[in-house]
Amino acid sequence: MASPTLRALIEKGLFERIPASFSTFFFDQIKDAATLFPAEIRYYERLFTLVDKLEPEEFQPLFSPLRAVEAKMGINEKTWPRRTFTLDQVDFLNRNPHYAEWRGEVSKIFARLDPVLDEETRRKGRPRLAVVLSPGELPVGPDRLWTRLGGKKVSLTAAFDPSVHVAPLLKAENAAPYDRWLIQASGDLPAVPGVVTLDYEALAPYRQRLMSDVQQIVEREQIRGPRELGARLKKMKLMANEGELARDPVLAEFTRAVLLAGNGTLLINNTFVEWAAVQAVRRARPSFVVVSFGIRNKLKPFSSLLIYADQEKSSVIPTQVDTLGTYVDLEVFYLYVWQEFEKYAEYVRNTAFVFAAAGMDEVRVIAPADFDAPASIDPMMLTAKLREWMHWQA
Amino acid sequence: MLSKRQFLQAAGITVAGRLAAPAAEPSDAKRKVILVTFGGGVRYAETFTKEGLRNIPRLAELQPRGHFFRDCRNLGVLSHFNSTGSLVTGQWQRVDDFGFQPPASPTIFEAFRQQRKAGLAEAWAICTNKSFSNIGSSAGPGANVVLPKQLLLEAVKDIVARGDGLGVADRTNVQRRLETILQEGYEGVGWTIFKGGRQIDRKVRETLTHALVEYIHGPEAPTSGDELTFFIAREVMREFAPPLTLVNFWDMDVAHWGSYSLYLQAVTRTDRLVGMLWDEVCSNPNYKDRTTMLVLPELGRDGDINAANGFLNHRSGDASCRNMWMLALGAGVDRGETERPVAHIDVAATAAKLLGVKFEAAGQALREIV
Repeated sequence: MASPTLRALIEKGLFERIPASFSTFFFDQIKDAATLFPAEIRYYERLFTLVDKLEPEEFQPLFSPLRAVEAKMGINEKTWPRRTFTLDQVDFLNRNPHYAEWRGEVSKIFARLDPVLDEETRRKGRPRLAVVLSPGELPVGPDRLWTRLGGKKVSLTAAFDPSVHVAPLLKAENAAPYDRWLIQASGDLPAVPGVVTLDYEALAPYRQRLMSDVQQIVEREQIRGPRELGARLKKMKLMANEGELARDPVLAEFTRAVLLAGNGTLLINNTFVEWAAVQAVRRARPSFVVVSFGIRNKLKPFSSLLIYADQEKSSVIPTQVDTLGTYVDLEVFYLYVWQEFEKYAEYVRNTAFVFAAAGMDEVRVIAPADFDAPASIDPMMLTAKLREWMHWQA
Repeated sequence: MLSKRQFLQAAGITVAGRLAAPAAEPSDAKRKVILVTFGGGVRYAETFTKEGLRNIPRLAELQPRGHFFRDCRNLGVLSHFNSTGSLVTGQWQRVDDFGFQPPASPTIFEAFRQQRKAGLAEAWAICTNKSFSNIGSSAGPGANVVLPKQLLLEAVKDIVARGDGLGVADRTNVQRRLETILQEGYEGVGWTIFKGGRQIDRKVRETLTHALVEYIHGPEAPTSGDELTFFIAREVMREFAPPLTLVNFWDMDVAHWGSYSLYLQAVTRTDRLVGMLWDEVCSNPNYKDRTTMLVLPELGRDGDINAANGFLNHRSGDASCRNMWMLALGAGVDRGETERPVAHIDVAATAAKLLGVKFEAAGQALREIV
């Protein structure tokens, strides 16, 4: 169950006072605290403490419009049990003719609450760091990398080497739980104690089991749509022999959710890396994240139609890497990863971003004004600067 | 103050319509309509924008020869079945997203067949999306539905499971297995044909086999369901010349995998296949000068800014998901461009009007092209 603060708010009846669709969704989010990150619990505590403290003259106008839309949608005690939120309810909302109006009203509520919460967050702001690494095999130079990003080009006096220039930064010194992350396509950088490490290649046994199980469920069990599938997927937990992450229930559930998000996270290394990074930032709000992309393979004729099949076994045609396709994919993912950080008050104007590629002599830096990035620098000096930036966190 | 274009539109005149003579208008009885969807969803950003045009060279070339609706909106449920269901019924559909239920209101295929006493082979839906088996009808006789990708999947799955020889690396293997599936009884695999239509089985089988051979032994490595959809659509046009056809391309839904390059490749492939479909219309005597082709995205995809994960999904309901375009080509279509908002539910009403069929739709027939 939820934290003591949230439990007290629930017992006080807060979740009965707020509109049903709003209440049910959040009740579902907080009920299983064992799989939430500390940052998530803190957010929900702050959000609902704020709502609880609203005076009646603030509370009513904030939630009345949503209640009115809920009435038009047919949300009532019968159609919408207050303590259970399922995919049936998601479906109900999505198919309702008033869905757009409902979304609009929910957005308006957060437009009122978020600035208050964000202001609190900003007051406690501290420096943060994100390093986004590209594989050295990309068929372009730094002049054609990161074309969708702003920031400053910084020339290096020697080639960038992630194992020399990034790995030492990961060594945690009294880092808080879930505060430092390494998310990578393959095990290029070694795992470091105290740093959450998600590695697509290292998760191969789990991924293969999931692919095989999903294929079997879909084909043999006549699953009718995502509601039924979703319930089955929730049970496909990471096992102890499939990775270290299984020891930590929060990370085990995080990994399961990322791999079974319904996108290509099971199938394509870089989709996994991008989505895991986006979710880590959204949920855990870490201070330091290294995101390391790889090269994806080309699709094989015919066998690629069987999306959950092991392509090595499905076709004798040799696997080939797709460096050009990877380059195009990553140009978009750099933007999406950067944007995700910028959505949250913790990171805005506090975060130094370094985009780098193995073997290249230029990096892209997006950073607050107090992060001094010269036009040219020795990569070892850049590492020292980043370490110094990180030390401000202490 | 009105711009020149707005003034002309308000007066019911399009510039190109005045300058260029409209294409010949066939009688309703001879008219043919082909609805073509960029199914799976494509954004404006990757199509009719300055940056997007390079992904759709054929449509870019065809645009000035047709009537372009710059603001065509999908205001319904942003799932594949409901989106295409809304296109073919003229009513916003809110049924099961995965095709387990038929559309909740009559399709244009049903109205056409009933009112025109049309034969079994006169309305077709050829769809890469394998959950579209119910798209052709709400209840009564409607379109024959072909799901080419499902057919292909069955064959590939079977070959991989057997593990013989070169497996799928040998294209003849794939062809042989597909032919066997067709012989064994293809209903329920990739083919939904109404009971009374079974007498055309032999011809249908031959048609399908011909398309498969062309596809499998074509110059490109076949990784695409849409290529097969094209070959089958073309064979159906050549053999049956149906007056009403829906062609649903769907490869671009690979975007869900999170590969922008594969998504762009699929968009460009669909553009090429739509161009080839148009070439067939122009060269096939049964279609030439009597066919109106309406090309449009089934839905868009989430925008890059402030969305959960950009092009990967179509969940947000933002403008990038809902606001698209439509290109009308062919018989009776005045060249020009319309900026007023039109909607997906206008498509079935327009097709009905073109075919001379009475049809109850929430949408309106598009006055610019009927």
